[in-house]
Amino acid sequence: MTRTGIEYLRAKDQDSAVALVAEDPDAAFLAGGTTELDLALKDRVVHPSRFVDIGRLPLRGVTRDGDRLRVAALTTMEELAADPTVRARLPLVREALLLGASTQLRNMATIGGNLLQRTRCRYFRDPDVAACNKREPGSGCAAIEGVARMHAILGAGPSCIALHASDLCVPLVALDAVVELLDADGPRRVPLTDFYLTPGDRPDVETVLRHGELLTHVEIPLLPAGTRSAYIKVRDRTSYEFGLTTAGAAVQVDDGTITMARVGLGGVGTVPWRSWEAERVLVGSPANERTFAAAAQAAIRDPFTVPGTEFKVELAKRTIVRILRTVTS
Amino acid sequence: MTTTLTKQSLLGRPIDRIDGRRKVAGAAPYPSDFDLPGQAHAALVSSTIANGRITRIDRSAAEAAPGVLLVLTRDNAPAVADPPMSNLGSTMRWYFRDDRILHYGQHIGIVVAGTRAQAQAAARLVEVEYAAEEPVLDLDDPRATIEENPYGLDSSRGDAAAALDAADVTVDSTYTIGAEINSPMGLFTTVASWQGGRLVVHDTTQFPSMVRASLAAMFGVPERDVRVLIPFLGGGFGAGLRLWSHTVLTTMAARELDRPVKLVLTRPQMFSSTGHRAASRQRMRLGATQDGRLVAIDHDAVAANGIGDMLPAPIEMGTPMAYACDNVATHERRAHLNIAFTGFMRAPGSVELHFALESALDELAGKLGIDPVELRLRNYAEVHPESGKPWSSKALRECLTVGADRFGWSGRDPSPRSTRDGDLLVGQGMAEASFDFYAQPCTVRLSVDRGGNALVRTGATDIGTGTYTITAQLTADLLGIEVDQVRVELGDTDLPPAPQSGGSGLAGALGAAVKDAAAALGERLARLDGRPGETIASLLDRHGLDELSATGHSDLPAAAATTDLAVAGPFAATFAEVGVDEELGVVRVRRLVSVIDGGRLYNEKTARSQIIGGTVMGIGAALLEEAAYDPHTGRVANGTFGDYLMAVNADVPDLDITFVGGPDAFNPVGTKGLGEIGIVAVAPAIANAVHHATGRRIRDLPITLDKLL
Amino acid sequence: MSSTTAARSTEVTVELRVNGRTYPARLDSTTTLLDALRDELHLTGTKKGCDQGACGACTVLRDGKRIVSCLTLAAQCDGSEITTIEGLADDGVPHPVQEAFVRHDALQCGYCTAGQVMSAVALLREGRAHTDDEIREFMSGNLCRCAAYPNIVAAIREVADS
Repeated sequence: MTRTGIEYLRAKDQDSAVALVAEDPDAAFLAGGTTELDLALKDRVVHPSRFVDIGRLPLRGVTRDGDRLRVAALTTMEELAADPTVRARLPLVREALLLGASTQLRNMATIGGNLLQRTRCRYFRDPDVAACNKREPGSGCAAIEGVARMHAILGAGPSCIALHASDLCVPLVALDAVVELLDADGPRRVPLTDFYLTPGDRPDVETVLRHGELLTHVEIPLLPAGTRSAYIKVRDRTSYEFGLTTAGAAVQVDDGTITMARVGLGGVGTVPWRSWEAERVLVGSPANERTFAAAAQAAIRDPFTVPGTEFKVELAKRTIVRILRTVTS
Repeated sequence: MTTTLTKQSLLGRPIDRIDGRRKVAGAAPYPSDFDLPGQAHAALVSSTIANGRITRIDRSAAEAAPGVLLVLTRDNAPAVADPPMSNLGSTMRWYFRDDRILHYGQHIGIVVAGTRAQAQAAARLVEVEYAAEEPVLDLDDPRATIEENPYGLDSSRGDAAAALDAADVTVDSTYTIGAEINSPMGLFTTVASWQGGRLVVHDTTQFPSMVRASLAAMFGVPERDVRVLIPFLGGGFGAGLRLWSHTVLTTMAARELDRPVKLVLTRPQMFSSTGHRAASRQRMRLGATQDGRLVAIDHDAVAANGIGDMLPAPIEMGTPMAYACDNVATHERRAHLNIAFTGFMRAPGSVELHFALESALDELAGKLGIDPVELRLRNYAEVHPESGKPWSSKALRECLTVGADRFGWSGRDPSPRSTRDGDLLVGQGMAEASFDFYAQPCTVRLSVDRGGNALVRTGATDIGTGTYTITAQLTADLLGIEVDQVRVELGDTDLPPAPQSGGSGLAGALGAAVKDAAAALGERLARLDGRPGETIASLLDRHGLDELSATGHSDLPAAAATTDLAVAGPFAATFAEVGVDEELGVVRVRRLVSVIDGGRLYNEKTARSQIIGGTVMGIGAALLEEAAYDPHTGRVANGTFGDYLMAVNADVPDLDITFVGGPDAFNPVGTKGLGEIGIVAVAPAIANAVHHATGRRIRDLPITLDKLL
Repeated sequence: MSSTTAARSTEVTVELRVNGRTYPARLDSTTTLLDALRDELHLTGTKKGCDQGACGACTVLRDGKRIVSCLTLAAQCDGSEITTIEGLADDGVPHPVQEAFVRHDALQCGYCTAGQVMSAVALLREGRAHTDDEIREFMSGNLCRCAAYPNIVAAIREVADS
């Protein structure tokens, strides 16, 4: 499918932005552009009829509300990383932000856009590849029998193994972040862990977001004092690359026993992965290597692997052990 | 010319590159920066299968699209003649000669429109139907056509088989390297314009004279009516040494339309149609005595090649010359696959050979319990091992000893897994390298004017190596003037003929030609009765002359054929230290020492930059780079800069680069080429360091973390 | 602007403010800032290396911050202050980063250089040149296949220290 052109409209306010997208089933919000323009203009795998530029709406900045941080969706990655509260109370969020992309892209990419980024799967992102259930439901998945080194092993299945490659989302799902959505019916709040949908038999449906619904804010609960947290990213290149496996964790340890644990995983899931299984193993257990190994084992239970992704099973486990060791040492 | 006697030589001085100011200002024009009046824009149509035939092409929708001026496919393209062979073998295969599809991304059409966006949109409207067949993509695929001894370089001295049988200790290992993509930063561009009967082409190439000869032959015009312009290139690393079909298609479109046409490749197209280092597999068998004397080397290599293509990038060429060893046998094959045509990529063949040979020597050193540096010194080829002639220069021994000293090699505990730094295993490895001498004839025109300024003109290119700068530096040195009094014109085939910038051959040939021209000019000046201390400017002024010119020529290949010397290329020794996070498999280079024998240097600063560039590309080859072909379609599945990983700034540790050795006795200026030697020993040094760190011998590049888990 | 179902425009009128000059332009709405700079304004110093935000060759400053111009619509920049490599010199005097790049041979082919220089200028403003490792990390969004990286670090270090 080829359009001859795309209409560009700059939204005056949130409500008109929502209305301009809602009225046209092929319209799309445009924020930082680092995902949307790449997909629409360069890879040409999405075909919007209209960009509704929300970039100058007053949805920018970080406010503290008690023990919660409210991040407006157009705040850039660089801005959020520089926020003093994030530095002091959410170090794993800052680390995840600064390990992602490049400074140039972090100056452009918004937090809302980061949450809504699409997979980097080169089979999805090449319109000359016919079989992609995410692009054309029912057409198959060429990646499963292809070059799959960067693909997912959790939440994946025969329909799709496309990875959600965000770094930021890993700590956010671990921290119980909540997204605020707005459409003509008004605002609603959705926990980030409920926001993403694993592919199942509809890989094209990635989130609960409705057409025309605008992601306006992300609310991040601050970590209680005394919590240790960190984010690590394992990759081939030292910088400027998506992760092969990543992990974010926050724990409290009392007298050698883990009393609170949050574990998020990246590089492995079709969605940003909250490892409830690992947390269940950790809470109430001694902070030692045996516990970490058991948590890792529980986290990577029943992976869906294909040739090219098998190594991630072991690498992800080791990444989990490493992050747990880091935050408990 | 007495002034030269009173001045210190300019040669070797680390002066700033003379085109640096233009480049940092964004003012140096690359092919994609040229726009011609009335120009139309082109986009390519590329195949989406890797093997089969085109059964039907429907141009109608594309032709009807807004702004479209022309759609050319094999159905309506005019016939062209085949291009001639160049000194680098086959220049290209013209796809339109038949309906075959040989690789994914093969150019099957060109669409020209008023704007780039219109051309790109219309290109997607060309409907192509194929009779597709399963592509042949693997070196081991039994359907692949295998060519034995394709270059006639298979060699044998002594009896390697018998010597291997009789050896005290042997190594028998197989090494593989994945396909790598040259990936210069500049997108290859052609801006073609027929002006009357004359063709003027701005084209991204390292070999303008080849492009001129090829286009002249294909379009049936005399070479003098083709002008190729390329003042600045945007990098090449060998990708610009062949003629690629986009240049021909753009030229053809410009002729059909009788207006200038511009085509800029996309980055994904760079991955599928401007060459690459072919995937290869090598079996290296070494035999040695207990005291570390090599008695046998048996080298077997196979590399991929496009179908119907012939590219002389032999892996086995340097094997017989590497070490003093009486029994050496080499065998090479090419497997023709449904992959994009391969090309020359920085130190082609030499990178492959040295990864295998220097890894195998490390394995041998381990088996013998002999230090790897010492093992190389014990087998040092003091004279050329085949001819017995003395080298024109060879300071490889110094490379090894100075390198070991600078690195602190003597403090290394040879046992694998012996060194830790916190959670990291630390390993140190080394390798040596040589790069064969190569050159082609070169001509320059040198003029001096009454203002005391000199002008050097030749049809060579500066691919970023510093050709402009070293030419000016040498000229100034020879004429006894300042560097800023020399203007250098390159990148234009209307200038005197020069060879490609490639094979580490240009600087030597160009320098020799400049020296020849300066000598000729000196003779003419001498006939003007110069007074002691008199400048050129005053001499010309006194004789009422505006300028004096002379042509200089070099033919180093001819000279090499008759010299009593074994003409040497550059040598190197590289020492690397890696840190390995064993739990996660992550390898990072912590520091690296390279010592280079590059003969006499033109410019110590640009020379160092060449070695840095090669070294970093070597780090990428060792740890990062591999083009991954989809096993079913032959599509490069990671053909973007986001997916194909080259080293970034953070991958590069402190590099310690030192030059040793004196002037080469063969080259008239004493120089040797530096563009390639820097990369050659890097990957084996890193692989050997990984082994030292972990005890794991990885024989498959790149050494990605999954291979170490 | 308002939406009309009939005859939607796929063009935009923008005022690009580049290097202190104002350029009014009527463009296809999908024109990137990079293409507008090069094709419409003929400021060809900014280079296209990948056109997908993965190499940094097209780095420019928007309102003082470095961005990649290939993933930015010209329309998004209406009213923003854009600085390109052509606007870095001060009344003909090169920026200290440009001078340092020449001195340290922080370039070879020169194709990525404009992006490297713009990125370096921004990095210094961001205060991220405390150590060589910091410079390396925060210059990693700019690929250089000639691999002038160590010299780029040295050039930035020199300006940071001066």
